[in-house]
Amino acid sequence: MSPITPSFRDPAGGCFSFQGRVLRWVAADAVPDFEQFLQTQFARQGITQQKIISSRRLEEEEAAALRESPGLDAFLAARPPGALYEHDRIAFPSYPHEWPPEMLWAAGRLTLELARAALADGFGLKDATPHNILFRGTEPVFIDALSFERRNPGDPIWLAEAQLTRTFLLPLLANRRWGLLLAEIFTTRRDGLEPEEVYRWCGPLEQFSPRMLSLVSLPAWLSRRASPDNRKLYQPQLLANPEKVQFILESLFQRRVRTLAALQPAGQKKSTWSDYMSTHSYDDPAFAAKEQFVNEALREFKPARVLDAGANTGHFSVLAAQAGAEVVAVDLDAACVGAIWRRAREQRLNIQPLVVNLARPSPALGWRNRECPSFLDRATGAFDGVLMLALIHHLLVTERIPLEEILQLAYELTRSLLVIEFIEPQDDMFRRLTRGREALHASLNAAVFERACAAHFEIVRSLALPGTQRRMYCLKRKGGVR
Amino acid sequence: MFVAYIDPGLGALLWQTTVASCVGFLFYLKKSRRWIVGRSQKLFGLNRKKTESALVIPAGEKLKAKTDVR
Repeated sequence: MSPITPSFRDPAGGCFSFQGRVLRWVAADAVPDFEQFLQTQFARQGITQQKIISSRRLEEEEAAALRESPGLDAFLAARPPGALYEHDRIAFPSYPHEWPPEMLWAAGRLTLELARAALADGFGLKDATPHNILFRGTEPVFIDALSFERRNPGDPIWLAEAQLTRTFLLPLLANRRWGLLLAEIFTTRRDGLEPEEVYRWCGPLEQFSPRMLSLVSLPAWLSRRASPDNRKLYQPQLLANPEKVQFILESLFQRRVRTLAALQPAGQKKSTWSDYMSTHSYDDPAFAAKEQFVNEALREFKPARVLDAGANTGHFSVLAAQAGAEVVAVDLDAACVGAIWRRAREQRLNIQPLVVNLARPSPALGWRNRECPSFLDRATGAFDGVLMLALIHHLLVTERIPLEEILQLAYELTRSLLVIEFIEPQDDMFRRLTRGREALHASLNAAVFERACAAHFEIVRSLALPGTQRRMYCLKRKGGVR
Repeated sequence: MFVAYIDPGLGALLWQTTVASCVGFLFYLKKSRRWIVGRSQKLFGLNRKKTESALVIPAGEKLKAKTDVR
């Protein structure tokens, strides 16, 4: 049995997964506020609109039975008494280091929207981190319902504002200004970028630009001048006039909404692969045949959950979503993934696009590598169907991954269907990638590929794409659906 | 249960406090302005004037009324 790994930073409670259920333990003294929060109009509306995760308090009998479950008994006994809640499960959790900037921006917008809306009901957000957000398709959902706390009506300071800046605004700014990928930021920094760090990257003139001044330079200058031992700074400075407090906080949220709006990732970004649909090597009949082949496989197998590995601009993810599947589309090109997110959101398609390089998938991160499981931990056996289209040559040639390894990974990812495109070494793109190393793949051909597939899959059908050196395969996982 | 457990920053918190003070001052300015405007309206009867002007029928409406009569 894998150990229970709850979230642990908030002393008011923690979330954990047990037997496929998402549960939350809430400390006894935090329960009344949490119950009150769930009853507010703002929370009820947020839950109905699927912006906030739904929370159900477990009945005494159900909670008592859980407390005696092997594995959970010791875990709960080690915690002070409290209540147990159950949340909806998000099908495929993803993390900020896997998001394109568009998704971080949407998560930031939801965080600000909720923080602002909660004010009216006397609540506030005690933290503002993208780790409070998961995605259902393209839509962000606030999952850390315990982050809402009753506000002191006299407190004009929102303590989480610095975290909002570190984890949303500065990463978006760094991505926009220096092209820094979110993976580069969040893989090594749980709490985003400090203003002092970004300040060092700015040129002398840039430090005085209006955006840098308020987000980066002024906080950096002030922190240099302030004494870190000044404890008074962290004492709440309460005001007697709640109307004034409301005015100050409202103004703060308005400013941050404006800042976030200015940092919205630009659409139509160019990258190596962003123009793939207009520059790919298929002519119209070949592409139509490929499309039809994928559609037929989707219709036949009706996979409920599909992984589109190497999704590029998401053309086939869209086909899978239109066929009724819940799709996770992964690609290493953040510009392409951002474009998929925009398109899927526009067309209301159930696609969650992620920036993941299948050859170097996101590792497990956080304390004891248990806070964010690796991509493969989450993806293994999580999909009824996997699409690997125009991908295999990149893995074989660029990444030098053996064919058997690629098929083994596909076998571990899918529960049933694999649609894979085989590319002969004589293909133009294959040759472009080999760059004089043709001898390495001289023995590769369709017969070799089919023999390798036979170890894990049954070949349902295949189709040579007309006018190309490519062949489509519809494969069924051996050993039945798991 | 209120336990602040996230890092509130140093410079960022100081900056937020500074801005909050300025915005707090703006709050009083806005309130004073509202008070002055309110008093002026009361003193010089501006409210009545506004009500009267609101009663004037716009040009388009007059024309429509004329057309209706025809």
